[in-house]
Amino acid sequence: MATDFAREIEVHRGYLLRIAHLQLRDRDLAEDVVQDTLVAALGGSGFAGKSSLKTWLTGILKHKIVDAIRRKQREPAAVASFGDLEAELDIEDFDALFKANGAWESPPADWGDPEAALGRREFFDVMDFCLEKLPPNTARVFMMREVMELESDEICTELAITANNLWVILYRARMALRECLEQNWFADKGRSR
Amino acid sequence: MIRRALGHLLMCKEVSRLLSQAEERRLTWWQGWRLRMHLSVCDKCTRFAAQLRFLRRAMRRWSS
Repeated sequence: MATDFAREIEVHRGYLLRIAHLQLRDRDLAEDVVQDTLVAALGGSGFAGKSSLKTWLTGILKHKIVDAIRRKQREPAAVASFGDLEAELDIEDFDALFKANGAWESPPADWGDPEAALGRREFFDVMDFCLEKLPPNTARVFMMREVMELESDEICTELAITANNLWVILYRARMALRECLEQNWFADKGRSR
Repeated sequence: MIRRALGHLLMCKEVSRLLSQAEERRLTWWQGWRLRMHLSVCDKCTRFAAQLRFLRRAMRRWSS
């Protein structure tokens, strides 16, 4: 019985690793966090079966990732890794999206019926690709907000950044992802319609 | 008169920034009003706003 459950859990290891790696950008740390998650899942308070096993495991993983980020923030050596955030803030890559007067240079395209994409495995592969392309710290902050669903003030406290910096980073992440999805998914769909 | 009216208009760049910020904080009454005014006449930004909402749903789906 227990081994059946262990096997069912193990099936999701690859998926959990993918999330952890995108979030932490550190393969060893991602492995550790996923291992902790699987151990906690096996020995913990138990799976109630109210949600899918994958959702339940993702919930545990989110806590483990937040813990890992907190620990990392406390290490003096790790501060440098978030020091890069300052550099990422300086990138002004959105001027190309707008004309000097603030109008759209290349306006958002018609995405047709985007909801249909949510049912497609390939769409989420494109999503992975687009998330990987974000600057590391930008991706990390975006995932804390949108995947781990932390509140803005929690993120600011954890990363010791101002609210204004947080808004700039999230804005940049959304603009880049929107454009990447448009180019790599919705543009093709538009042509095939 | 016209100049004063134009001074109250937001440009698309500012609108896109405020739409993103609205996910994190409550906009001021004045910002919200100017945003709605802009969206009521700008198809491009209305489309952008819908795409931002979709992006949020897609991220939630991606992680579950």
